[in-house]
Amino acid sequence: MILKKSEAESPTYAESIINTVREPLIALDQDLRVVSVSRSFYEFFKVKPEETVGQLIYDLGNKQWDIPKLRELLETILPQETTFDNYEVEHDFATIGRRIMLLNARQIQRVFGKERIILLAIEDITERRDIELGLEKVRKELEVAKLLEDEAREYAESIINTVREPLIALDQDLRVVSVSRSFYEFFKVKPEETVGQLIYDLGNKQWDIPKLRELLETILPQQATFDNYEVEHDFATIGRRIMLLNARQIQRVFGKERIILLAIEDITERRDIELGLEKAHEELKELAVELERTARVKTEFLANMSHELRTPLNSINGFSEVLSDETFGPLNEKQKMYVNNVLTSGKHLLLLINQILDMAKLEANKMTLSLSILPMKSLLHEFSMLVADMVSRKKLQMSLDIAEDLPNIEADELKIKEILYNLLSNAVKFTPEGGQIGMQARRKSVSEIEITIWDTGIGIAPENMEKIFEGFFRVDTPYSQVTEGTGLGLPLARKLVELHGGKLIVESKGLNKGTLVRFILPNKPYEAM
Amino acid sequence: MRKKALVVDDNKNNLTLEKDLLEIAGFEVFEAENAFNGIAIARKEIPDIIIMDVRLPDMRGTKAAMILHQDKETCEIPIVFVTASVMSEGLEEVEAVANSGFIGKPINTRTFAKEISQYIK
Repeated sequence: MILKKSEAESPTYAESIINTVREPLIALDQDLRVVSVSRSFYEFFKVKPEETVGQLIYDLGNKQWDIPKLRELLETILPQETTFDNYEVEHDFATIGRRIMLLNARQIQRVFGKERIILLAIEDITERRDIELGLEKVRKELEVAKLLEDEAREYAESIINTVREPLIALDQDLRVVSVSRSFYEFFKVKPEETVGQLIYDLGNKQWDIPKLRELLETILPQQATFDNYEVEHDFATIGRRIMLLNARQIQRVFGKERIILLAIEDITERRDIELGLEKAHEELKELAVELERTARVKTEFLANMSHELRTPLNSINGFSEVLSDETFGPLNEKQKMYVNNVLTSGKHLLLLINQILDMAKLEANKMTLSLSILPMKSLLHEFSMLVADMVSRKKLQMSLDIAEDLPNIEADELKIKEILYNLLSNAVKFTPEGGQIGMQARRKSVSEIEITIWDTGIGIAPENMEKIFEGFFRVDTPYSQVTEGTGLGLPLARKLVELHGGKLIVESKGLNKGTLVRFILPNKPYEAM
Repeated sequence: MRKKALVVDDNKNNLTLEKDLLEIAGFEVFEAENAFNGIAIARKEIPDIIIMDVRLPDMRGTKAAMILHQDKETCEIPIVFVTASVMSEGLEEVEAVANSGFIGKPINTRTFAKEISQYIK
């Protein structure tokens, strides 16, 4: 310190030193009154000589200097030790604001006289401290950043190593920087022959793939990301593979270099499956076309067959009818019975032909509806009279329950009559003499009506519930003759109901427990479909 | 005067049946087993009605009908097709012929003559 020499020098010399140093200096006597002050002190603390010299230090500048830490230094520390360096004091001065000062104190003997004086050098370290703090902050930030980078790298690497998809990171020169574990496993390469290598040179130049070059050299420089770039290649080690490449060009956290991240998805199996599926789909389509053709051929065949069968039937039925009517003379009883058998069989055959043809048409979607508004209430009443003869011949009781508010519906009249005829004739056929049958009709909803035809007849065994819709299924019963039915009436009725956009269900509690057929018809068939 | 009916059908049985039914109903009946003969008889006899099969050995019955319709001697004669075709395509063919009707096979012997009579103006 400069003042160490002052004992040997003259006071003027000392004062000239005091006045040249840029550091504010103050000299106090034993009573802590200001003896002398450097010019820089006046400048720094913005005080004047007349309000300074002779004052108690604490009273300086309106008692601004009454600082606890200064009192501690001057009154407690200095009496024990003669020098004290770098005593830090922070204080908020009214004139110059908050300051951080380093105080260096010396207690010295004045050259002439015995009194001691205290020399106080004041170093303003406010700015320095601010800079230091700033530096510290920057250092801390740097540390955090470094930590973050480490963390980020670790994080990135752990991602690379945990993803199942092979990943490869390349530098700007397309040399391998890092590679995921799965990459090694998948491509059967070792780390020592991978990292640092040009990607094209990997595994004996296996990776020198034109499409990969295109991606890395042409596409990526233009766009930073690229997804689902498909590359097919035949690798020596793992055979032909189809890969989807997802590429990302990213900036490293510190440093200007870019790295390219390449994710490789092996879609060979997926593609094979897709191809297989496509093939299967094609085959299915062909099969569907073939099936459609077969169905058409079948329908055409049935149409032709029915045409061909009708011509001889025309003769069989026609002549036997004329004979049975005895138009050309009377027949004896036996002749009459025989000719009636011929006629009944002929008519049965005709019914069969018609129903088979209808079935074929329905199955080939060739049946069309010719719609009109049907007054259902009167239609059902009329129809019940048509079957009344059939009912009374078998001594059955028929009950009718047709709702007064039954609405008219739009439907194909002939087909609705066919449905009703098939179901009612089944009810008659399968109910023993003295039994009951019935028909109920009501409005089911605003847009539907429900018709139920029931009987107390032989019912349907649970195991036959499905079979009755298969066609030609007939139950042997003592009440029905073999020639009476075709086994097509119910399936046809259901198909015709469905053609109208309706639904038909059959219920039976079992054998000899009666049968109930319920069907729902929409008011307007096409709106329901 | 008895009404004249011409029946054109290659099936001998059908021909006989239809002829019998019409004769019982009081028609004078002419027969033809193919379209060529049918057209010839129609031009000669000018019947009140022609009952025609659709499938004839030499041409379609509908074709024969068109030939008769183009002839001013025979163009007024109504033609009733007796067809076993029940598919809509077959019916369309028949419906395309003017001044004609059709009866499906097999015929109802009890109403056949009556149905035929309805086509005569």
